[in-house]
Amino acid sequence: MGIPARLVIISSFFLLYSTAAIGRDKPVPEEYGRVIINNFSSRAGLAPVRFNHWLHRAIFTCRLCHVDIGFAMQANETKIKADTIVKGFYCGACHNGARIYSGRKIFAACSTKTVKPEERKRCDRCHSVGKNLEKKIDYTSFTAQLPKQKYWNLVDWEEAEADWLIRPIDFLEGVSVQRPALNAQKDFSITSKSTWMPDIIFSHKKHNEWNGCEVCHPEIFPSVKKDAVKYSMLEISGGQYCGVCHGRVAFPLDECERCHSKPVAR
Amino acid sequence: MIKHIMLAAIVIVIAIFSVIQIVSEKVPFLSAGTAYAQDEWKKEFDALCSETQDAMLMSHEKLHDLVARCDALKPRIESLDESQRKVMLKRLKMCKDFYVYVLQSKESK
Repeated sequence: MGIPARLVIISSFFLLYSTAAIGRDKPVPEEYGRVIINNFSSRAGLAPVRFNHWLHRAIFTCRLCHVDIGFAMQANETKIKADTIVKGFYCGACHNGARIYSGRKIFAACSTKTVKPEERKRCDRCHSVGKNLEKKIDYTSFTAQLPKQKYWNLVDWEEAEADWLIRPIDFLEGVSVQRPALNAQKDFSITSKSTWMPDIIFSHKKHNEWNGCEVCHPEIFPSVKKDAVKYSMLEISGGQYCGVCHGRVAFPLDECERCHSKPVAR
Repeated sequence: MIKHIMLAAIVIVIAIFSVIQIVSEKVPFLSAGTAYAQDEWKKEFDALCSETQDAMLMSHEKLHDLVARCDALKPRIESLDESQRKVMLKRLKMCKDFYVYVLQSKESK
């Protein structure tokens, strides 16, 4: 393919991509990864739950919550009930009023008894959608010292961990399974579908450390043969495959070079 | 007379043991036997799910064995209370599905 033809293709791609990007909402850092949970809240006369990924992912690995505690990877799929939380499952694995983090007891979530008016504030800490409440932990001050990504001013969690600014916990006493040290699979390349786009270097090590194996396989990536399935950006931006996390909680898809990082050699 | 007293005592003892048996089935923490059984399934669960990250290095036989043990543990978890059942079944499924995935992945090579 000649250089002018390549230039036309690349220009068209960026034109199309930027048009699509304009149509998409720019992520608000504080709201990035936010999950609104409302399986049962409204029916119980409570506001839906506002779950902030940024606060929890600064403290815990993805695996701790999505494997050891058992939260589903899709919003509202877990169908969490108050009595399950009170029994020490899901949010109640930590939010039990007894577990201590950073020298402070983690507040207890939910109750199966009638809550006294003075205790309502505790409910509001999670059931906060549509309420203008004073925040116990403010996003701006919490993330002030953390490195930011190239786009959208989102926190670069990978760099934050590399700089020892966060140390995500991967083991919860009484909940997690004791695992031996990790034997990470090697990083590998995935051939880009487009000749002008660099191939992807997939970091198995990074994904293993934060997610474990069973978060991704087989639920998100069921294919058992390498290169048997061609993942398209359309599917990924639609929330499939890498898009289950990237573009929702993990770094957004705009940062092409973080995945398409192998120099073009064709 | 003594025979009657002994017979009554035996009946009372049997009745007490029966009541204890029934109550302990309904209230697990009263029964050491049940508590031990709970430990047993949890130990097996931990043993099964602690090996996922080494699955790629395992033999076919070992993976088949882990899958079979996951299947054998499932009915035990299904007998737990609703909350525990929901959480632990999902966690067990994740482990089993991953071992099956690795097996299929190895077989496809």
